[in-house]
Amino acid sequence: MSERRPYVRPMPRDWWARWPFRHYTVRELSGVTIAIYAAVLLSGLVALLQGPAAWDAWRGWLASPASLVLHGALLIAMLWHVRTWFQILPKTMPKLILGGTPVPQRTITLIGTSVAVICSSALVAFVLWRPF
Amino acid sequence: MEHIEADILIIGAGGAGLRAAIAAAEAAPGLSIALVSKVYPMRSHTVAAEGGSAGVLQDSDSLQAHFDDTVSGGDWLCEQDVVEYFVEHCTPEMIQLEHWGCPWSRKPDGDIAVRRFGGMKIARTWFAADRTGFHILHTLYQTSMKYPSIKRLDEFFCTDLLVDDGRAQGAVFLSLATGEFTAVTARAVIIATGGAGRVYPQNTNGGIVTGDGMALAFRHGVPLRDMEFMQYHPTCMPGSGVLFTEGARGEGGFLRNKDGYRYLQDYGLGPALPEVRNKYMELGPRDRISQAFWHEERKGRTIETAHGDAVLLDLTHLGRDKILERLPQIYDLAKDYMGVDAAEQPIPVRPAVHYTMGGILVDGRTAAPLPGLYAAGECSSVGIHGANRLGSNSLAELSVFGRVAGEQAAAFAQDSSNGDKGRLLDQARAAEGRALALLNRQGKGERHAALRDEMTAAMERGCGIYRLGDETQQTCDTLADLKKRYADVTLDDHTRVWNTDWTTAIELGFQLDVAEVIAYSALERKESRGAHQRLDGYENRDDERYLAHSLAHYRDGAAPEITYAPVSITKSPPGQRAYGEAGVKLEEAKAHKHD
Amino acid sequence: MTERADKTIELRVLRYNPVTDEKPHHQSFTVPYTSDMSVLQGLQWIKDTIDGSLTYRWSCRMAICGSCGMMINAEPKLACHTLLRDLAPGPVTVEPLNHFPIERDLVVTVDDFVKKIESVTPWLIPKHPKPVSEGPYNQTPAQMAAYENFSACINCMLCYAACPQYGENPKFIGPAAMAILQRYDGDSRDGGSALRIDAVHGEDGVWGCTAVGACSDVCPKAVDPMHAVNQNKMNTALDYFLRFLKKRDTK
Repeated sequence: MSERRPYVRPMPRDWWARWPFRHYTVRELSGVTIAIYAAVLLSGLVALLQGPAAWDAWRGWLASPASLVLHGALLIAMLWHVRTWFQILPKTMPKLILGGTPVPQRTITLIGTSVAVICSSALVAFVLWRPF
Repeated sequence: MEHIEADILIIGAGGAGLRAAIAAAEAAPGLSIALVSKVYPMRSHTVAAEGGSAGVLQDSDSLQAHFDDTVSGGDWLCEQDVVEYFVEHCTPEMIQLEHWGCPWSRKPDGDIAVRRFGGMKIARTWFAADRTGFHILHTLYQTSMKYPSIKRLDEFFCTDLLVDDGRAQGAVFLSLATGEFTAVTARAVIIATGGAGRVYPQNTNGGIVTGDGMALAFRHGVPLRDMEFMQYHPTCMPGSGVLFTEGARGEGGFLRNKDGYRYLQDYGLGPALPEVRNKYMELGPRDRISQAFWHEERKGRTIETAHGDAVLLDLTHLGRDKILERLPQIYDLAKDYMGVDAAEQPIPVRPAVHYTMGGILVDGRTAAPLPGLYAAGECSSVGIHGANRLGSNSLAELSVFGRVAGEQAAAFAQDSSNGDKGRLLDQARAAEGRALALLNRQGKGERHAALRDEMTAAMERGCGIYRLGDETQQTCDTLADLKKRYADVTLDDHTRVWNTDWTTAIELGFQLDVAEVIAYSALERKESRGAHQRLDGYENRDDERYLAHSLAHYRDGAAPEITYAPVSITKSPPGQRAYGEAGVKLEEAKAHKHD
Repeated sequence: MTERADKTIELRVLRYNPVTDEKPHHQSFTVPYTSDMSVLQGLQWIKDTIDGSLTYRWSCRMAICGSCGMMINAEPKLACHTLLRDLAPGPVTVEPLNHFPIERDLVVTVDDFVKKIESVTPWLIPKHPKPVSEGPYNQTPAQMAAYENFSACINCMLCYAACPQYGENPKFIGPAAMAILQRYDGDSRDGGSALRIDAVHGEDGVWGCTAVGACSDVCPKAVDPMHAVNQNKMNTALDYFLRFLKKRDTK
């Protein structure tokens, strides 16, 4: 009979840690920051329920060096996630066709990212200057 | 040996084979169809056709005009009754492809757009950007999946036909994946295996275009017709021969020599107007433009490249946007392979072998003289191309005559009975034995790749754009010598699974037979017509002696015998072939005569 | 006048012959090359002059037939479309496409890929059927733009070799098949998307995709299969939801 014997190569278990998938892995992991930040906010809410002492302790922790380092790291990871989120946005939405030609994906990413930057900056400005 | 029984066997699953399979499945849904190819269908060489497919569409156009262009383009060696049938059925076939999803390029209002093409009096070339063959092939391939009666055998390499009781009844295949043989028997057989351009060193053809079907039919006594007419496409990549579509000129591209001069005006195609015009200059027929290159080269007016002389295909005046919209593939090819940005610089190009005008002799309904055998597409000579094919007539041909072949084969299969299985399988085992003898041949024979290189060099020398009798004779002698040496080649690889050393060697056997037919047909035709041009005292067309098809007949162990058969002329008596201003004057004179 | 091949480069090719080898192994060849030679031409030089048993698929030499996909320096590429000069000084590793079983040397099994294409009902099902005698359908450039890039798939399988999810789960329908499905679903002449939706559902359908995006990165024809897959995530969710509503209506 036939001597055909296809050889199946095993899929490496750690493919996600290897080039060229590291970029993807970092992108997905940076999404976890949202959960971590939500946990931080939740703990603040719990502290508020527990009374003024707990609330002050929580605020104190917020100002601690460890917390500042954590928030700095969360901010960087979040910014990265936002950037990559808008990078894949044009590939997850229906095709946008204007005037007979598809809108370039880079344009969609650029508009999306710009809107996010403007909104975030406005919010930061609002919080810092408190016009009301 | 495995044995598969089908009603219809189709060898080759490119454009013509797929179209035939669909037509047979629609004409007779009860028949089983074996569609067998040495590659997966989407790899077939139809995929590389770029420019487009002809079909009369504009109100100002007419079937008569398409007929006239085709017949004069073919230097009156066309079967005119077949051309009449052809031009009538091109447009319905293009519409059929549209209904199956082919993404034809459109005008802004959503109607079909057509582009200009060489030798065509008016724009009638349907196109899908510059990937027309690709889109036609994939449309047909995917549409073929709709029909349960079509059973494909992919990557099955045909080593011989089964002919018994005076009719074609199947073929023997080597499965690449297993190295085992399969006999497929059927009541009708269609060959749709494409051309033979790979017998030349520089060609636009894929590696699979090795003339298999032509050689198989030829060895079983079916004549090959008009094989001396090999088309050189004038604009190809020096070295690899990769094609830059004629559509580039149809869209307005110019050809210039090293001085920037549009040299075609010196060869009866002028005057050089600032814009391209149908049947003028760059939109002359392929034979004339390739021949003009040959003269420019000898006058020293070409540029030098690493792979021989070249002229310049200038698209820069079209602008980047139009190039990217209409000619995206050739823009990429020039950029990626040659480092040339076609929007900024002209592309160096030279002629390379592109198309086999001749092929397996069939009548106007694709039937070969061997009962039960049909052929369609480039492997066949149904008679529409004559001595020179017009660009965009071949994709139309494979659609029109692929369908005809499918319908005819279905009708034949319905009207005939099964053959003698025992005798057919005996034949199949004998064919297997011959193939295995090559596989198992021991010793230190020559490499078949070395023989192939000698063959292609000899073909270019003796059967090129221009031919000299004594050089063609030398080519015939070289080929005879190569055939002798071929009998002793040995392989590096003696195992069975996926042995392409083996299949390539078998292909070389097919190629040597086809090459010899081309060379002898060229040697015997002592005139100049279309793509066959001689410089040894036969510079003119000689209608008295050679307004005739050449027929090459197989002789075991000897050179092919060449005979001639009459040409069917229905409404266009042989006339002068003229392009550019000369062509216009000729038409005016003709019109006067009729007044 | 022909450029002399005076430079050389090393090709490390993965070899496997099921008849003689237990498993694949690398073999090195030193190949002379000119500035316009592709990896495919390097392989052809080896096959023609040194070792006729070297096995690979090829045909058109112009990046349109899709035969010669292979891993070149660990990236899925068309060998005819990858120039040796860009890989100098080497060595260059040449292996069969990832995630597919190896038949021999650089040849992988294609059958499963072809079955996947067949499974998406890849033909036009006219929204308004009419005979050929009534002429072509109208389709504006905008309507064509909705599917045109998806119709450019050459079936070279580079996207499957790039997709880790296909590597993990060979039943995953994968990028090219989804691009071909979207090519018909997105065609204004077509009315058959309901027949194709079953190929889209589930873990072996679009939900096997985690938006890695490597498929679109390696595509030689800018088909953007990732876009096709992810557009269909929306379609399958919508279809699921609508079916759910319909069921409740009928009760």
